[in-house]
Amino acid sequence: MLRSGGLNTGSSDLLSARRRGSVRLAGAVAVAITGLAVLGRNSDPAGKPLPAAVTLGAAIALTGNANLYGQDQRVGLELAQRWFASTPHPRPVRLELEDGASDEPSAIAAFNLLIGRGVIALIGPTLSQQAFAADPIAQRQGVPVVAPSNTAQGIPQIGSFISRVSAQSSVIAPLSLDEALERDPQISRVAVFFAQDDAYSTAETAIFQKALAERGLTPVSVQRTQLADNDFQNPITAALQQKPQLVVISAQAVDGGNLIRQLRELGYRGQIVVGNGLNTPNIYPICQRWCDGVLIAQAYSPDLNTPINQTFRRLFQDANGNRTPGQITAQAWTAYQVLFEALQRLQKRGEMDGVTLGEARRRLMQEVLAGHYDTPLGPIHFRADGEVVQGRFYVAEVTMEANGRHGSFRLVRSFDVDSDAGGPTP
Amino acid sequence: MPDNGLLVQMILGALLGLSVYLPMAAGQLSLATPAFYAVGGTLAALMATHADHQGTISLGAVLWEMVVAGALTAALATLVGLPVLRLRGIYLAIATIALVEIVRVAILNLPFTGGATGIFGIPQPFHHPLGYITLSGGLLALCGWAFQRLETSRLGRAMAAIRDDELATRCMGINTTRVKLSAFVASAVLAGVTGVIAAHYLNTWNARQGSFDVAITTLAFVILGGSRSWLGPVIGGLLLTALPELLRPVGDLRLVLFGLVILLGPVFFPQGLITPALLEKLGRWKLRRLKP
Repeated sequence: MLRSGGLNTGSSDLLSARRRGSVRLAGAVAVAITGLAVLGRNSDPAGKPLPAAVTLGAAIALTGNANLYGQDQRVGLELAQRWFASTPHPRPVRLELEDGASDEPSAIAAFNLLIGRGVIALIGPTLSQQAFAADPIAQRQGVPVVAPSNTAQGIPQIGSFISRVSAQSSVIAPLSLDEALERDPQISRVAVFFAQDDAYSTAETAIFQKALAERGLTPVSVQRTQLADNDFQNPITAALQQKPQLVVISAQAVDGGNLIRQLRELGYRGQIVVGNGLNTPNIYPICQRWCDGVLIAQAYSPDLNTPINQTFRRLFQDANGNRTPGQITAQAWTAYQVLFEALQRLQKRGEMDGVTLGEARRRLMQEVLAGHYDTPLGPIHFRADGEVVQGRFYVAEVTMEANGRHGSFRLVRSFDVDSDAGGPTP
Repeated sequence: MPDNGLLVQMILGALLGLSVYLPMAAGQLSLATPAFYAVGGTLAALMATHADHQGTISLGAVLWEMVVAGALTAALATLVGLPVLRLRGIYLAIATIALVEIVRVAILNLPFTGGATGIFGIPQPFHHPLGYITLSGGLLALCGWAFQRLETSRLGRAMAAIRDDELATRCMGINTTRVKLSAFVASAVLAGVTGVIAAHYLNTWNARQGSFDVAITTLAFVILGGSRSWLGPVIGGLLLTALPELLRPVGDLRLVLFGLVILLGPVFFPQGLITPALLEKLGRWKLRRLKP
């Protein structure tokens, strides 16, 4: 190995050759980057005429720590795609699924990729934090986005092309507290757990704590956890010392599932209310029989007796054994349905003929916001800013089978929400 | 074919790789890059969202953010570097991991950094990724020029000497503490300035951007690219950022393949892709062909 600063002629020759090599390689890299930048200027497909078969793009988390949700969403989207393709309709629609992973750069890359391929609208991304990164890109290029699972505050306000079918947690979360308090009106000691490095969980715990305060309950213990935590002995021991009668958890599926299990294992016997992060059947294998009895407020109930939900449930069960679908899957189906139906309405009125892709995207967004939809979630429509207005919410209880491997969300009660402004009424 | 958005991410990856490489060129294994990257990004997000920019921001304002981020990270790196650089090898690595964690938890809990959601709605200086390519590519070119000059400068030779043998270097009368600190501070400034560009490019900034994972990813840029020349981390950063996206046609297996590349890279290229021998060969290449 040559030491730097060698003074004899041989090594100085070697050094200058190395420097020359560096300059040449750097030049080649610079030329390559410039070339790629020139070639990669995406010839914006917005100016081209709309193709006969329009494509919906979905960028959801198939990898990373949000993949538990993404896999559910994939099932919902693929079922919806197959079902609506089999019904008679005037315009064929294709679905392109890309992995938006669980981080911001990947979501941006997936959005860019799909927009460049000329999709008419986008479904995704899975996490709200990703939406704050990727949605502005779709907004700038005028591509409609329907978010199937972003519940953070401020998502539809990113821009006029951004909407969602996932109701904000401020509407849903407190309903499960009411159920717990009705079951045991004596509850006065509440412990709160939340994943402090998760955007969704921190927002949701604020809603839970506000709802608790409105019901005259001050938490006796507030424990902060991390998404990547596996061992919750310390926060649980600290909370149990305060002898809580109700535990309220805002976390995601993996950490939340482990937390519930360890709470029970360490002797907690009271009621547990969890937030939307645990709203997936994927928690069953994690907390197993210890999931039993957990209360959760949902925007979807598999027991909803409408034709579209029966269809959705039947298709899901045909594809997945006898399991019942969860909220995330139903919302993904709904996102697809909303875009599909809006597209077909436009097509029937002849407004999709002879227009450019950019114009078709703009008209589709207007049509999405203008329509009313009968979905597995129940009837929904949109506010002018893209926020979903949903009529009915549910409280479910997790019921596990004796073997602890399979379970279901059993409907306990449903609440009708008067309008987008009004509060819930049971 | 990578689109321009991906190219921006590749260039940002190369810049972060260079930031990890700088202390390494002086023989120090520092993983502090994500901490300073997070400081730069958070600063840009705060400055850009607090002033009323109505969705767009002038390039001048972004450059000003870069200057402020550079100054802040330099000050922070000096403060941290003085005690931390007394450690060596794996101990220094652990101390810098702790720094990354402290900065992450601080950003998560400070009242003005938006908690876990972070800061969103960061205004854009450019309407097209090409603008970001020009800005970050210009910064990369500037760094390339500076690194090329550094190799023959007094400071660069002192860094290389410390890397070869710190004790011998000190015996030759070189103030090794100052040299190591200079490399650490320069690395911090580069990471901070890169964070400013990234915050605008990503539209949003939160504590997850500067996590331990980023430390490992950026270290992989240097290990795979090669740690004996500044071109190593540049090429490592460009390739490893692009690879997961270029592997998309493979479908669900793409991250498995990506992992294989990271695993097999050091097996087949133990010194990284860009070795001094390769550069020497490149430097002589034309001369040999011209000889009769």
